[in-house]
Amino acid sequence: MNRNLNILNQFNILYIEDDKSLLKHTKDILDDFAKEVYAVNTSKEAFEIINCYTIDIIICDILLENENGIDFLKDLKENKKIFIPSILATAHTDTKYLLEAIKLKIDHYIVKPINVKELLNTLHDILLPQIQEKELRKNINVIKTISAITDSKQVEIIKYMISNLDEKNQLFTSYLEIMQKISVSKPTLIKLFKDLASKKILNKIAHKTYFFDEDALNSL
Amino acid sequence: MQIKKIFNFYEKIPFSYKTSFLIFIIAGGMFSIIVLSQISMYALKNDFDFLFEKRTKPIIKLETIKDTFAINIYDTLYDVQHDNITISQSKDVIVLGQQLINKNWLSYKKTSLSKSEDTFFVTELIKTLVLNPSSTHNEKLQHNIIKNIDRKIALINKKINTIYILFSQKNEEEAIFLIDKINFDINSINIYLTNLTNYDLNLAIDEKINTQEVFNILSNILNLSIFLVFLFCILLSIIIINNFRVSHYILEAAIEDKTKELLKLNDSLANKVKTEVLNSRKKDIIMFQQAKLASLGEMISNIAHQWRQPLSSILMIVQSFQVKMSLGKLTQEYMDEKVNDAILLSQNMSNTLEDFQNYFKPNKEKSIFKISDCINHSLSLSKYILDQEKIEVHLIIKEDLSTFGFYNELSHVLLNMISNSKDALKNKSNNKLIKIVLKCQNNFIVIKIYDNGGGIKQEALPHIFDPYYTTKYKSAGTGIGLYMSKQIIEKHMNGNIKCKNVYYNINKAIFEDCALFIMAIPIVKAKDE
Repeated sequence: MNRNLNILNQFNILYIEDDKSLLKHTKDILDDFAKEVYAVNTSKEAFEIINCYTIDIIICDILLENENGIDFLKDLKENKKIFIPSILATAHTDTKYLLEAIKLKIDHYIVKPINVKELLNTLHDILLPQIQEKELRKNINVIKTISAITDSKQVEIIKYMISNLDEKNQLFTSYLEIMQKISVSKPTLIKLFKDLASKKILNKIAHKTYFFDEDALNSL
Repeated sequence: MQIKKIFNFYEKIPFSYKTSFLIFIIAGGMFSIIVLSQISMYALKNDFDFLFEKRTKPIIKLETIKDTFAINIYDTLYDVQHDNITISQSKDVIVLGQQLINKNWLSYKKTSLSKSEDTFFVTELIKTLVLNPSSTHNEKLQHNIIKNIDRKIALINKKINTIYILFSQKNEEEAIFLIDKINFDINSINIYLTNLTNYDLNLAIDEKINTQEVFNILSNILNLSIFLVFLFCILLSIIIINNFRVSHYILEAAIEDKTKELLKLNDSLANKVKTEVLNSRKKDIIMFQQAKLASLGEMISNIAHQWRQPLSSILMIVQSFQVKMSLGKLTQEYMDEKVNDAILLSQNMSNTLEDFQNYFKPNKEKSIFKISDCINHSLSLSKYILDQEKIEVHLIIKEDLSTFGFYNELSHVLLNMISNSKDALKNKSNNKLIKIVLKCQNNFIVIKIYDNGGGIKQEALPHIFDPYYTTKYKSAGTGIGLYMSKQIIEKHMNGNIKCKNVYYNINKAIFEDCALFIMAIPIVKAKDE
């Protein structure tokens, strides 16, 4: 899967690691991808960062000096009710930690020494849904705006048609059926179907069976 | 043959029976001797008594009769003859004399004629068996004499009566004539009495001879019986001694056999001990190696831990080049900076390796080294685990001394102690302390290691230096560490190691239940070696 790592540049990363050298070098790499990388040594500093800035994802080492990364995340989630996607990094492949991590619903778990590609991919995978969600919300807004300024009935019918598509993008319906669901006149309906057919978007392939062609949308 | 059979039979009798048999025979013999001697003594006494009673007394009586005849009768009659006394007076005296004579005579007859039935049966038996009955023919003589005497006495009495009748008829001349006649009679009676006395004396002599004979026979029998008992005792003793000898030989042979067996056993045991000692030495060597391997494992994990961080960093640096390159952001400055960092990191790693290399190096050479160096080195080697467990270490060097020995072995012991303390402190939540004191005491270098990890359990205290004794879980401890430490300190360094639980003041706070290990190593200088 080819990931578009550019999406990372919209996000702020909090990186907690007690080994200063490793912290510095990792930060140097992540700086090229993320919007901002906050690299800290202790959980105390991490809390300060979280309070001051918007953090989109946390990368946390399990074994910190005098403390435990899992305890920090637990405190964050259970006591402070701050839910930020988090990745645990550790040299320990101990199942004890793993079980606790699963209980905490940690988003991912990477083993040290860190493979940068793996780290970036992991970051991408975790942050992608957020991007997609934003995207979705944007589209919904677009549609809503369009329907507000054009014939809202037609938008409604299209919504109905798309939501009733099966896996093969086929639609089994009749005018009567649509008219029962949506109060629309038959001529308007026939006109809409003809329009769509002329643009090869909705093709009648059998009686009461239509095929919705996605590719036709792109060629518009 | 018969005797041999008896001997054989006797040989077969159990020993305890033989001894009781001997005792029985000796006791029986003694008893018979005593009885025999008693019997013979009694018999002899009886014989003497008899001799006195039956022979001597009658003789006295006969003498008395004789005297009575002489004094009472003859003298009285003489006095009458010469008119010295009156007739009536003489009559009284004569009657008295007659009475005396009669009485004595009767008693004599009674004693001498009565059969000697009261003699002792043994003497009687011997007499009848051994002696020829010599005295019987003499009894006739005795009877004759007694009869004659009887007659004479009767005659005399009659004559005396006649005399008195004559006196009463005043026929004095005839009376005197009769008195003379009586004198003759008295004389003859005296002769008879003397005969009787002689007879009795002869009899006494005979009997004396008999008694002598009896005595001889009895003493012979006694001697014989003593001799027989003696012989028998000796015989039995010889048999028993023989038996002793035989059993002694048997026992000796048995003992010799057993001794041989024991010697054999001893030899085999000695061999076994030797092989066991060898085995145990081998085992010790193996254990030493095991301990070494165990600590090696620990050291390797230490190295691994100490390497992990710089390795991660270096890896990150390497990857950063790739990433930067792909982004087209790889600049000269960035390269220089990262390479410098990588060099520093790898130098650090190299130093770590060097540190541990000293520990692993099998340097068999003894050397002079400072104890404090060894302690510091050991602490630096365990730095990672101590840091990980957040254990504070206080090292107090009161007197720093050098010693001559195996650096690695002491280091090994110290690492073991530190590792044990770490294990004890592992479960403590905070305030984990180890205190090491180095000082000199009575020509000994003394290293004291305290930790406030709760001390050693009382039941474990006597065993902690035993091999394969561990209080840790099976996976965690081999039970060799302290044993090997003790071996090293005691065998290789001629020192000693002790442990106890103490109250101790570490860093101005008093802790109960501190474990204290005291190692004392004699100060050895190179030139002494």
